[in-house]
Amino acid sequence: MTAPSTEKFIVPIGPQHPALKEPAHFEFTVDSEMVTASSARFGYVHRGIEKGAENRNWIQALYLVERICGICSNAHSTAYALGVEKLAGVQAPPRALAIRQIFIELERIHSHMLWAGVAAHEAGFDTLFMYSWRDRETVMDLLEAISGNRVNYSMNVLGGVKYDITPALSDAVLRGIDLLGKRLEYYLDVATTEETFVQRTRGVAPMTAAQAESLGTTGPTARASDVQRDVRVDSPYLLYDQFPVTLVTETAGDLQARFTVRIKELFESLRVIRALLEHLPPGELTARMPRRVREGEVVSRVEAPRGELFYFIKSAGGENPYRVRVRTPSLCNFSSVLVGVIGHRVADIPMILAGIDPCFSCNDRSVIFRRAGEDDASAKGGSLPSAL
Amino acid sequence: MTNTESLLAQAVDLIGDRATVQHTLEPNRFDLAVEPAKLLECIALLTSAHWGYLAAISGLDHGPDSGRLEMLYFFCNKAAVITLRVPLARETPRIPSICGLIPSATLFEREQMEMFGVVFEDTPNSDHLFLPDDWPAATYPLRKDFLTPAPPPAPEDSKGSLP
Repeated sequence: MTAPSTEKFIVPIGPQHPALKEPAHFEFTVDSEMVTASSARFGYVHRGIEKGAENRNWIQALYLVERICGICSNAHSTAYALGVEKLAGVQAPPRALAIRQIFIELERIHSHMLWAGVAAHEAGFDTLFMYSWRDRETVMDLLEAISGNRVNYSMNVLGGVKYDITPALSDAVLRGIDLLGKRLEYYLDVATTEETFVQRTRGVAPMTAAQAESLGTTGPTARASDVQRDVRVDSPYLLYDQFPVTLVTETAGDLQARFTVRIKELFESLRVIRALLEHLPPGELTARMPRRVREGEVVSRVEAPRGELFYFIKSAGGENPYRVRVRTPSLCNFSSVLVGVIGHRVADIPMILAGIDPCFSCNDRSVIFRRAGEDDASAKGGSLPSAL
Repeated sequence: MTNTESLLAQAVDLIGDRATVQHTLEPNRFDLAVEPAKLLECIALLTSAHWGYLAAISGLDHGPDSGRLEMLYFFCNKAAVITLRVPLARETPRIPSICGLIPSATLFEREQMEMFGVVFEDTPNSDHLFLPDDWPAATYPLRKDFLTPAPPPAPEDSKGSLP
C-alpha cells in the first residue's frame, strides 16, 4: 500500500454560473468527496459604480446606484435617496414614505420567490421552481403596474416617489397579495414535508448563532441561525416605526431554516403591505430638493431582501457626491459559504452557495476597459467592456 | 436617555481616552478619531464587550493636495452607529489588519487594499478581490487622482443599419 499523498486536489467552480446564473470563482480543496478548504474570487461583473457616482450629480447617481442590482434595485435607490435627503435636510412627504415601503416589500416578495425557485432547482426539485417562478409573475405584474418597469423601477426620486398608488392599483395589489399568501403557505408546506427536498436541506451546512455572528452574516442567512437582527426592526426607516414588521427567526441554522425563514418573513411583508394600503396617508408625492447638498456625511441602512444594505455618503457641498460607499449584504454572507462548505460533500456545494441567496451583481460593482493593442499600464480606459 | 443614546454612551465609555469623540449631524451616530497604533486596542474593547458588529470598512481619500486618507470602521448596534476614523499618511498608508479580532473582515480589507492602496499589516490574504489579476500596479481606482476615462466612441461597424 502506498503512503497517502500530501498533494492537494482543488476543484475549481466558476467563474461561469457556480450556482445562480452569475459569475464568481471558487476553489474548493477536497479530500475525496469532503471539502477541506475554500477560497473565492469576485469582480467578473465589477463596474466601478462607487467611483462612477463621484463623477455624476446627485440625481444621476440615484439612477446609477439603482443599477447595482437587478433584483433589489429599489432597495439601493431607497437607501441612497434616504441618505441624500437626510444630508440635504429634506423630509419626503408621508405618502411618499408609505409608497416606498409598500414598494420595497413587494420587491422583497419578488426577490424571495425568485430565490425559492433557484434553491428548489439546485435541490433538483424543478416542479417547485416552476411553481414559484410562475406565481412570482403576480408580484412582477404589480411592480410593473405601479412603476411601469419590471427591473429598474425608477420609483424613487430625491425627495419622494415618482408614481402614486391609486385606489384601482391598491385593489389590484390587495388581490395579488391574497393569491400570493395562499401560494406561499403551500410552498412552506411542501418545503417542510416533501421528503426529497427535506433530505437535501435539513441538517445541511448548519450555523449556530455564534458562528453566524462571527462570520459577519446578515439578513435571512443570519436570522435562520437565530440572530435577532433586522434593520427594519432595529433602526426603523420609512414608516417602519408606525407600521412595524415582526422579527422572524429560525433556530436550526441549516438550509431548511434559511428556506422557511424567508417564506415566513414574506407573510410579514404581506401583512404590512395590507396595513399600509388601508392607511395610505393623503398628500403630496415629492418634497422640493436642492440641486446642491450641504457638506456632511451620512450613514443610511436599509433591510434589502438579502440583508442589511449599508450606504455611507459624503457631500463636500457640491453638485456631486464626494464619496458613496456601498456595502452590500452578499459580501457579508459569502464568508459563511467559505467556512460553511468545509466538511461537506462536493454535491452539497451548489445548495450551500444558493442558501445565502448570493447576488454577484450587488457584490461586484468594475469592468476592465481595454483597446486592442494597449498595454496594461494604459488599460484603464478604452473600448467596449468585454463583459457586456 | 433613549436606548440609542445609552448604546452610544456605552461605546464611548468602553473606548475611553483612546479616541476623540466627534458628534455628527445624525443623533444616532458618533465619530471616534483613533490613531492607527490604538486601532486594535479599540476594536478588541468593542468585540470583547459584544458591542454591535462591524458593518463596513471604507476608505476616504481627501485628495492629493491634503495628503490625507482615512480608513473608516463602522460598527452598528441596533440604531446606534459608531465610526472609528483612522487618519493615515496618503503617501505611505499603513494600518494593522483587524482579521485577528474579526476574521470576516478579510473580504473588506482585500477590497480596500486594491481600491485605495492601503497596506493592512498581517492581513491573511492580500490577493485582488474585485480587480483583475492584470490590473496595473500602484493604480488605485477609488483615489481622487484616479480619473475615470471618457466613455469610448461607438465602434464603426455598429453605426448604420443592423446586420
